[in-house]
Amino acid sequence: MEDAPDRGGQFIAAGLASLGIEADETELAVVGGVHEVFGPAIRRLVEFDTGSVIPEPDLDLSQPPPQEKA
Amino acid sequence: MRPIDLSLRGQAAAIAAGDADPSALLDEALARIEERNPALNAIVETFPERSREMLASAPDGPLRGVPVVIKDEWPLPWRAQRFGSAEMLTPTVPAESGPFRALRDAGAVIVGVGNMEELGAGSTGAISVYGPARNPWDPERCPGGSSSGPAASVSARLVGGAVGADGLGSVRYPAAYCGLTGLKPTFARSAMDGHHAADTTTTIVSGPLCLDAADCRLLSSVLFGESLGEGVASGLRIGVVRDVPSEDVDPEVGEACEGAIDLLRAETAGTIREVALPGLEEATLAAVLIANSDGLGEATPERLNRLNPEISLINRAVLKYRMLIPSVAVSHAHRIRTLTRRRLAAVFEDVDVLAWPTVPAPAPPLEAPIVELPSGTETADRANVRGGALANLTGTPAISVPVGLSSAGLPIGLQLGAAWGRDELLLDAAEAVERANGRRWVDARPPLADAEPAAADGC
Repeated sequence: MEDAPDRGGQFIAAGLASLGIEADETELAVVGGVHEVFGPAIRRLVEFDTGSVIPEPDLDLSQPPPQEKA
Repeated sequence: MRPIDLSLRGQAAAIAAGDADPSALLDEALARIEERNPALNAIVETFPERSREMLASAPDGPLRGVPVVIKDEWPLPWRAQRFGSAEMLTPTVPAESGPFRALRDAGAVIVGVGNMEELGAGSTGAISVYGPARNPWDPERCPGGSSSGPAASVSARLVGGAVGADGLGSVRYPAAYCGLTGLKPTFARSAMDGHHAADTTTTIVSGPLCLDAADCRLLSSVLFGESLGEGVASGLRIGVVRDVPSEDVDPEVGEACEGAIDLLRAETAGTIREVALPGLEEATLAAVLIANSDGLGEATPERLNRLNPEISLINRAVLKYRMLIPSVAVSHAHRIRTLTRRRLAAVFEDVDVLAWPTVPAPAPPLEAPIVELPSGTETADRANVRGGALANLTGTPAISVPVGLSSAGLPIGLQLGAAWGRDELLLDAAEAVERANGRRWVDARPPLADAEPAAADGC
């Protein structure tokens, strides 16, 4: 895990470059800082098993969710 | 009392009764802005001629002749919104937004544009292309974001009411920091058209920031396009969640909110019950991710490569980082939204309102927007979103009500949340809180608003 920050830095630089998004050293450092905040949260969300959650059809956020069918 | 110091409804009533001259009130508001705004930077632009034109053609509506402020998030027919930023990803143009039309048709007079956090991307108001707005209770402190200027304007009595927007707590945080009542309406219930993200957002709503709940009811009625009925909260079933938003808070905040919840129970002859709402942490993460990905369709490498260098480094970085959010994470976030909505709907079968502190600590310094919590030092943004994001994720309404002052003289806010469409109940409950504490906190004035008018006032 010691090289995780380096891997994060590589992910940022390679990820942005692969999309054609430019960033200088300063920006890359700050984007890396953002990744240090968001990265663990994103990983946690991805690890959260949502396979049994049936998405709401026709999501209407102004109303409560429809009753789940048994 | 001078008309400008009356509540929003007081100003409207005084004009309707012929006890106040709306032209004089407009002049008074402009003079008040000139006098107090330099210390606050709450209002970034006034347009006296436009305001006078609005007044001259104001219909006989519920806010006829009453000056109000609107956040820099909404276009006006004579001014494109800047979103607190040197540039937005998509160009904006002057236009009639829904909130503008609602205010105009109610007879209100827009007297200025309120400052806001750059790109709406924070809860403190510390970053803005105009420089930050300042908190009237202590100008060295954050006013809250992203509706920083609207909140500071009302708190400093520049106007009686203001329109903000709330995508992840952006009405409620500044309401709490500035000692105001601020409502985040049920999703899609308040005017939203004309917002640059109106067609893509699933979290943002327009909402009022006012001195008290009755003013919020009046301004909400205007923004909703329907009269919101007034009731008396009785037998209120108050739910408390023993989790991070109510537990990991500054002790003074915790004590004030616990006391206010007890008073609310007594005032309404209600009950308090602990309820379980599992998965709050994941729900917060999901809300942040969804809010950051809703508008990604407007982002292209070309646009990101020519971002205005005047945009803050941190927000340029966030804009670019959003492109790297994996789609699987967004997919999970949407399923967590569904799960959370179902869990919350079940909770609201057993309670009428959920109560916890709006923000876990009073307004932090602008120079260092961090807060000290029992769990340690945290950025205010990360701490605040834990209590604010649930309503935006689920679409439910929530309101922040002032319930105290810290030992440093900074406001403390209690948040009440309710089920979809029960905005009126929240206003009733907020009024019950006011009655229970003798209106002590909604009538409290920041030192800056207690100052004697300058000699040149009104000239």
